[in-house]
Amino acid sequence: MTDGKYPINIWVNEERFAKLEKAGLSSMTKEAMAGLKVIFVYANDAQKDKLLQAYPGAKFDSATTKSIELLPRKVKDEIFDLVIQKKNIDVLDEFLKGK
Amino acid sequence: MAALGHGKKPIVERILEPAEAGKKIEGLTRIPVRSQIANEIIGISFGFFSPVEGFMNKADVDSVVKNMRLANGVVWSIPIVFDMSDADISRYGVKLGQPVVLTFDGNPMALFEVEDIFAYDKQQMAQSIYGTTDDKHPGCARTYKYGDKFIGGKITLVNRPRINDPYGPYFITPLEMRKKFEERGWKRIVAHQTRNVPHTGHEWLMKGAWSQTYAELPIDKPLVGVLVNAIIGEKRKGDYIDEAIILTQDELRKSGYFGDHNHLTSLTFWDMRYAGPKEAIFHAALRTNLGLTHHMYGRDHAGVGTYYGAYDAHNLLAKVQNELDIVPVYSMNWLYCPHCGEVTSEGLCNHKSEWQKFSGSLIRSIVDDGVKPPRLIFRPEVFDLVMECAEKYGFGSPFVTDEYLEKRVAVFTVPPMS
Repeated sequence: MTDGKYPINIWVNEERFAKLEKAGLSSMTKEAMAGLKVIFVYANDAQKDKLLQAYPGAKFDSATTKSIELLPRKVKDEIFDLVIQKKNIDVLDEFLKGK
Repeated sequence: MAALGHGKKPIVERILEPAEAGKKIEGLTRIPVRSQIANEIIGISFGFFSPVEGFMNKADVDSVVKNMRLANGVVWSIPIVFDMSDADISRYGVKLGQPVVLTFDGNPMALFEVEDIFAYDKQQMAQSIYGTTDDKHPGCARTYKYGDKFIGGKITLVNRPRINDPYGPYFITPLEMRKKFEERGWKRIVAHQTRNVPHTGHEWLMKGAWSQTYAELPIDKPLVGVLVNAIIGEKRKGDYIDEAIILTQDELRKSGYFGDHNHLTSLTFWDMRYAGPKEAIFHAALRTNLGLTHHMYGRDHAGVGTYYGAYDAHNLLAKVQNELDIVPVYSMNWLYCPHCGEVTSEGLCNHKSEWQKFSGSLIRSIVDDGVKPPRLIFRPEVFDLVMECAEKYGFGSPFVTDEYLEKRVAVFTVPPMS
């Protein structure tokens, strides 16, 4: 479920872009900074809370971007792989299963 | 001619040479101090906090809280205090008129003349300095954690701290700093206050301020420099690690985005209070003592959360400007405009709907992903160095983690006295 509240920014380097292209998902990216591409995976309140609980080093930037930051890179890699697998950005329920 | 600092007072280093220091501290009670106090001992004894000569007595604290001035009338905005619990005062037998030795890392650091022991209303202090008594404000929280009493008195360094790698070259005292400026022939120097790894928004803030500072000066030789003065102190999880901050700031010079002729990186030990406008005044005093002529102030300078308005610091500076010996340089934000295809100032570009604003969190999330950003927003040399610092100093992360807090190499240590 995505209610569009709290983005997780998954930045797209060449390697990630190649995977997206191969899966026919390159249009999923948005251009954010000087041509740098990003995928926004959105969390709702419950997902946000669960993520912050599961990864205490992560932070919710309540003041400016309203985004979830400082998730470990391997977590973002896992989320990205799920996006590729499901061909959808609505993957957090699946990701959080068993966390 | 004496080097004059804040309040037009001469900068005086309060440091004893080893032979004399050994004799002075013989037989005195030794009291260990935490890192905040050790940072401030350095600030006081090398003249960073001139004309403050020690931890403040009640008259100074009261005057700072009520009038934003020391008791002698010089503008000063943040109390520099030494706190102790009643139990510790009793345990160490601290008494008026009896000097004690402050220790750090188990070794003597400073002689502390006990001239005043007093209580102070912490809520009143917080309200005055931070404009709030909210314990969620990190400055208020720090104030409420202070012990029951404050001890006032002069500080004299008896044992010079050893500045550890890689920070050594960046610890430049107020008196040394003036020599560096003279060697470079700089007539005006503008301070860039930072606790960040620089993205190009920061770089252009500095470049814009350099240009503003140059103003009417002749351009046939370099006369204006930017001094990056990084605040090194207490770290919070998620901050950039100190090593990455100091080394990447200098990398902008080394990689040619600036040069020796206009850029220098240094550090000051200080635990940020996030006091917004009051911290801006403190920064003016600090950088005056470092010999600077100008100081950059952006929006919400040294603020936190939503406690301060964007221009509160500018307004407070304006109120005491005729008593400060440093000129504020107000900086507008820089951003990336895809229409212009360049980094530009929000005061210049009118493609407002297309602006891509720099946000610290946004850049951090890019770095976090290990994705190399375009050079227009993050210099490749800076990015590579951030990643190198993560491996070399940050236990794999360029950001402060529990592991970093536990195992990092201290910025400075106080060695045994020779």
